Amino acid sequence: MKQRLKIKDLFFVALYGVRARRGRAALTSIGIGIGIAAIVAVTGISASGRADLLATLESLGTNLIKASPQAGFFGTQEKLPDGVVGMVERIGPVEEVTSTTQADLIVRRSDFISQFEGGGISTIVTSPELHQVVGGNLIEGRFIQDGLSNIPVTVLGSVTASRLGINTLETPTKILIGDEWFGVVGILDELKIHPDLDRSVFIGYGVAKTLFDIDKEPTTIYVRANPSYIEDVVEVIAPSMNPENPDQVQVSRPSDALEAQEAADAAFTNLLLGLGSVALLVGGVAIANVMVMSVLERRMEIGVRRSIGATRKEIRYQFLLESIVLSGIGGLVGVFLGTGITLGYTNYTDIVFSIPVSQVLGAILLALLIGAISGVYPAIKASKIQPAEAVRK
Amino acid sequence: MKSKQKTVIALKNISKIYEGPPQVKAIDKLTLEIQEGDLVSIVGQSGSGKSTLLNMIGLLDTVTEGTVEIEGQDISNLSDNELSKFRGEKIGFIFQSFFLLPGLTAQENVAEGLLYQGIKREERLKKAAEVLEDVGLGDRITHQPTELSGGQQQRVAIARALVQDPAFILADEPTGNLDKESGMNILNILKELNKQGKTVVMITHNQEHAKKFKKVITLTDGKIVA
Repeated sequence: MKQRLKIKDLFFVALYGVRARRGRAALTSIGIGIGIAAIVAVTGISASGRADLLATLESLGTNLIKASPQAGFFGTQEKLPDGVVGMVERIGPVEEVTSTTQADLIVRRSDFISQFEGGGISTIVTSPELHQVVGGNLIEGRFIQDGLSNIPVTVLGSVTASRLGINTLETPTKILIGDEWFGVVGILDELKIHPDLDRSVFIGYGVAKTLFDIDKEPTTIYVRANPSYIEDVVEVIAPSMNPENPDQVQVSRPSDALEAQEAADAAFTNLLLGLGSVALLVGGVAIANVMVMSVLERRMEIGVRRSIGATRKEIRYQFLLESIVLSGIGGLVGVFLGTGITLGYTNYTDIVFSIPVSQVLGAILLALLIGAISGVYPAIKASKIQPAEAVRK
Repeated sequence: MKSKQKTVIALKNISKIYEGPPQVKAIDKLTLEIQEGDLVSIVGQSGSGKSTLLNMIGLLDTVTEGTVEIEGQDISNLSDNELSKFRGEKIGFIFQSFFLLPGLTAQENVAEGLLYQGIKREERLKKAAEVLEDVGLGDRITHQPTELSGGQQQRVAIARALVQDPAFILADEPTGNLDKESGMNILNILKELNKQGKTVVMITHNQEHAKKFKKVITLTDGKIVA
């Protein structure tokens, strides 16, 4: 026989039960709401973190390789031969190469500070290309522009700048490197994947040779390569630099560290997702519970509906849909709540906001599914009530 | 008892036994025919089986023994869907406690009577307003049940039973919860409906009310005694 109760009417009927007991409906949906909010927030925050990481990696590049000799037997900084840059440059997919030389020079704000109190700031001798290869923005001024000039100018890493208390270059500023005064021409923004560079000052090879007699013997080289061949480049870079003892060259990708950290966060995310699922399960049981009670309370309504022509099936659909509506309300509230939490978190930590639409839809579907499952037993119970029983005085 | 009237409902030798414990024989080998246009009251003490009988007549319950025929059709083999359809289209129920749905207005309550007939909501509400007008509640259509007196609530319930234009009205102690005046009012409405051609069966324990109907059936221990 044709279904006479129209779908739209079925919705009205299902909503009737919810509207007639608003307070109870709200309390019943809370469990689902909390569960969905937790899931949306956790996936949202995780996705935002991921999106932020990708944005960071995008700007920094995952195709950057850093290579340096293993520390010597006594922890001394080994040097690479001058020709190493040229050797690496000849590897096919390599796009850019630059080198730095670690200089053993103390950095001080002024000569009032003892020359034994360096404050953990390293001096890095480099060429202008470094800025381009490692990426990064300047907060102030410019990078070293002519690496071979003899003019004593320097650029500060972000941590260095704050340690030395230099926030602006509006007035000409000088610092002491070794025993020589250097004019500060630029301050770098935080480099994120190069914390060592953040704690450094940069000077050119020319002035390093003139003032400190430092030769262009690199201690670290930075390489940008075609991202498609990055693994291959990592493979061959050590043998190219030191064909005799390739294992003495340490090759790393700074972006790997960030990804590893993210992977560790993922484990924590899964734990929270598990907790959210438990909340959903409890919420589903709560809905089933309340619906069963509701069926017992509403015998009269069931009796009336049966007497005005409702079939068992129509009663079953009514209670099933009511359960789905209850859970769906919880799900919707949960999605808003979870999105709000994510928005708050991303604002607070200043990272990119990102919630995948598929996950929001998935969360709502999950809520509806739980409502459907929770509603099956109460709905069957309601449909089995004998009409005569239901209208008994 | 031969007549040219059509038999609406025929109960043939029916029994209803509630399996205990203790086992109760609510209806005991009862035979009854209700003709089209009848105005019947069924009286009896409480426990005499009147409500059970009404549930049988109204297809709300099944018999343990015997057959029930509606318009000549044996209903014992009908499916739940078919029984529901019968109830929805042919029978209007009126209950002692009105059984209006809380939270819905008088109009919405009456419109529920058409819900399972596949009629559009606007149409249902329009028809409900008309029927409420007929029972003298045209000015109360937006009231909630709690804002109406007992007599008014019962008239809303009557309107709900009438809205689907059933041939057959079944009233279970419709005056039981009402004061004398409201009760008389409801009885008059039922008599008026009978005059308009509806078959009306009412159960009551009030002899005085029962006597106002053309045919009075007295029930004791599940048997017709008069």
